[in-house]
Amino acid sequence: MLAFITRRFLLLIFVLFGVSVLLFGILMTFSPERRAATYVTSPQQAKDIPKIIKQFGLDDPFYIQYFRWMKEVLKGNMGWSLVASRPVGEAFWNYFPVTLEMNLFAAPIVIIFGIWLGTLSGIHRDTWIDHTTRILAIVGWSLPTFLFALVLLMIFYGYFQLFSPGVLSDQLTMFIIENPESFTRFTGMYTIDGLLNGRFDITLNALAHLVLPVSTYVIVVVALNMRVMRSGMIEELSKDYVMTAQAKGADKKTIYIKHARRNALLPVVTVAGQLVALSMEGSIAVEVVYSRHGIGWWLAESAVQLDMPVLMCICLFMGVVFVITNLTLDILYAYIDPRIRLN
Amino acid sequence: MKKTVYIIACLLMVFFTAVAKAQVKNPETFVLADYRTVQTIDPATSYDVAGSMRIWNLYETLIFFDGSSTEKYVALLAAEVPSVKNGGISADGRTYTFKIRKGVKFHEGGELTAEDVVYSFKRNMIVDQDGGPMWMLLEALTGSGATRDKDGKIIDGIFDIIDKSVEAQGDKVILHLPKPYPPLMSILCYTASSVLDKEWAISKGCWDGYIKNAAKYNNPAPGHEPLQKIENGTGPFKMKLWEPAKQFVFERFDDYWGPKPKIKTGIVKYVKEWSTRKLMLQNGDADRVVVDTPYVPEVRAMKGLTLYEVPQLGYTAAMFCRSINPAGNPNIGSGKLDGNGIPPDFFTDINVRKAFLHVFDRETYKKDVFNDLVIMPTSPNVKGLPYHKEVPFYEFDLEKAAEYMKKAWSGKVWEKGFKMIITHNTGNEMREAAAHMLAENIMSLNPKFQIDVRNVEWKDYVVKIRDFQYPLFLSGWGADYADPHNFVYPFMHSNGYYGRFMALKNDEIDKLCDAGIETADPAKRKTIYAKLQDIWYEDAIGVPLYQQIVVRAYRDYVHGFVPNAMFTDDNEILKRIYKK
Repeated sequence: MLAFITRRFLLLIFVLFGVSVLLFGILMTFSPERRAATYVTSPQQAKDIPKIIKQFGLDDPFYIQYFRWMKEVLKGNMGWSLVASRPVGEAFWNYFPVTLEMNLFAAPIVIIFGIWLGTLSGIHRDTWIDHTTRILAIVGWSLPTFLFALVLLMIFYGYFQLFSPGVLSDQLTMFIIENPESFTRFTGMYTIDGLLNGRFDITLNALAHLVLPVSTYVIVVVALNMRVMRSGMIEELSKDYVMTAQAKGADKKTIYIKHARRNALLPVVTVAGQLVALSMEGSIAVEVVYSRHGIGWWLAESAVQLDMPVLMCICLFMGVVFVITNLTLDILYAYIDPRIRLN
Repeated sequence: MKKTVYIIACLLMVFFTAVAKAQVKNPETFVLADYRTVQTIDPATSYDVAGSMRIWNLYETLIFFDGSSTEKYVALLAAEVPSVKNGGISADGRTYTFKIRKGVKFHEGGELTAEDVVYSFKRNMIVDQDGGPMWMLLEALTGSGATRDKDGKIIDGIFDIIDKSVEAQGDKVILHLPKPYPPLMSILCYTASSVLDKEWAISKGCWDGYIKNAAKYNNPAPGHEPLQKIENGTGPFKMKLWEPAKQFVFERFDDYWGPKPKIKTGIVKYVKEWSTRKLMLQNGDADRVVVDTPYVPEVRAMKGLTLYEVPQLGYTAAMFCRSINPAGNPNIGSGKLDGNGIPPDFFTDINVRKAFLHVFDRETYKKDVFNDLVIMPTSPNVKGLPYHKEVPFYEFDLEKAAEYMKKAWSGKVWEKGFKMIITHNTGNEMREAAAHMLAENIMSLNPKFQIDVRNVEWKDYVVKIRDFQYPLFLSGWGADYADPHNFVYPFMHSNGYYGRFMALKNDEIDKLCDAGIETADPAKRKTIYAKLQDIWYEDAIGVPLYQQIVVRAYRDYVHGFVPNAMFTDDNEILKRIYKK
């Protein structure tokens, strides 16, 4: 097992190198002028584009620019983010907790709810339960996230004045700013930091700010998990071993839960793993509408503004996330299905 | 069962926390929701509207605009506004003397001296970052708009010139100009003229005060300027917290020399999505939000708001490029006048330009696109600037446009037709509408005229304008300072930002532009700028599109706002604001 994990982590170095060369190459297809224009926000500043090209060596050959960047990265300097107005590394650790916090609440709900609904739908195939869950799933999956988020915001915040956007109320934010010694930001996630500091009001307030983003994310994403689970259940329930179990008099609960569901879980684990990995780059629509400045918002803004250091950083991060996710999935496969061995 | 009860109890607590929050409004806190981000709060490098807002509240300048005026000033860190009459400005317009106000404290406790002012001016000019704002002060005080040449090399002797341009004599600061520079007073109100605490700045790694070491501090990379995220000004507010692209929190400075601001805390929140900003305003979680023109009808329909209409010192035009780059340029089709393109010098024929001017329906544009909430300019010297005058404009007249097209290129244009692309920057609906209006009306003249309209992301747009790729481009300019030079030069001079990319070469214009900035005599300047405005019309240089009026939407319990055409809607002078 240890050798397997070590091998996969060694592979990570090659993956990251490949990702960085590929992305750097893609970004180099933009002209030096276009990359220099990243620093320009008004026509007044545009006169200095040639000087900016010289200053940063944007017209140097590809390999020189790549190695210059790599040298800085190895020194721990990921560059400067124009979108975040601070070093990329610092900005990352500021935005990542916001995304992670939402995923910590959303991911378990997506997985558990998806498995439950899929199981229910698979067991009650072609009944009203199946039809209802399928219709809801299709509606959820088809809804544009941005629109759905706006509708929820307008109803709950606009009409009922509940669940305001942002991550924490102004009063509590001001309290934290004014009393830095009495509130330590251990994780950057207010729900958890509130608990660790014994400030349950902060935790509850942060949770209130999470209700709409998490609901939006769950409703939109749960459909995929549910569909995969349903298909798995239907397939498993049609297999001979289920018939054998039924013939031997096993009760329905044992057949559905202990046998069929366990076997149907394998593809769900794959899909859920990929969903969790993908969610680490944030949901752009959710973060923009609910004014939660996380990785999704940062990535979208950086892509529009061609903030190269940020794009490189997030792509490398996602490379790491996917390698670790796949490794975890492989280990989980072995746990769920003992026939699979990690050779 | 117990678990269920516990879960329901938790959910109810979350619910009531949210309810309780929605009802609390703090009368001493002002919240502005904006969507523009701040790059830096260093006065020497900040050159965007969001950064200016922060700096104007944290730092102070010697003088500032008097209320709504862009031509009258009040003293801030100066004891009085200098004038020729009180001896503060020499008769030849080359020496400005400022007596420094006494008893002014910086946020970290230091006391303001004339030396601080001298250091600040020199330090800011020495920094002169690429794409930064220091060209204004450099142009006025040294006669050179930069410390580096086109290749990025430091100009010989420039730092010595900077050193001699500002001096302290007792409690006075004296500015020595190489030649008269009429907009100087307006430039001194800009954030780039903010005053720092010398000792503090040096201790933070700014220029050490020795001119021989100046080169080391010149042109820092973005984010590497020592004052990028720290401040120590004399302004009425201190920076309490800055979470870039999240929020900026101001806290009242209790030792402020002037009247104590009524607002204790100012918060600027970054909220990109309009619907979210609108709901925040509706629920009172924001006291003001930035409203883009297309959303003005929505705020007009909301209750409990006070709206202000503020004309801006800004100008947008559609500009003709007279020497288009033909290399691989899809915007001019075949590059010939053969019915499938246009030649690179298509717009050198004034008949073509006049035809385009006659197809622009100003009245419809004003009504349909802006709901009449706009000023329709006639030249770059827009309303609100000194020496503005209404010059004639080309009436919407399709018959006249057709006549000009028939004359253009000795009748070849009409006979063969042409094909070209008009571009505008993505997301600007006002420019998009103008581009479509021009294209459709021109195409209605002759079925052989074909114009496509395309949108391009703003930064790509800038790059391609600079590469002379666009035959007709739509772009704008906001005021750096309130003087015609800041508008006429970029739009009309052959070395001006747009003049250059329109390939505009007119010796008379160049001479007039140069003469306008070199004389301080108001009568002479009036004649010069009147002539330039006439030339804009006579030479049909471009299609004047709009001078924007922004709408500011405040909750009705917010008072104290004073409109000023120099300030965009991102700006807020917090010391004037109060809630009642």
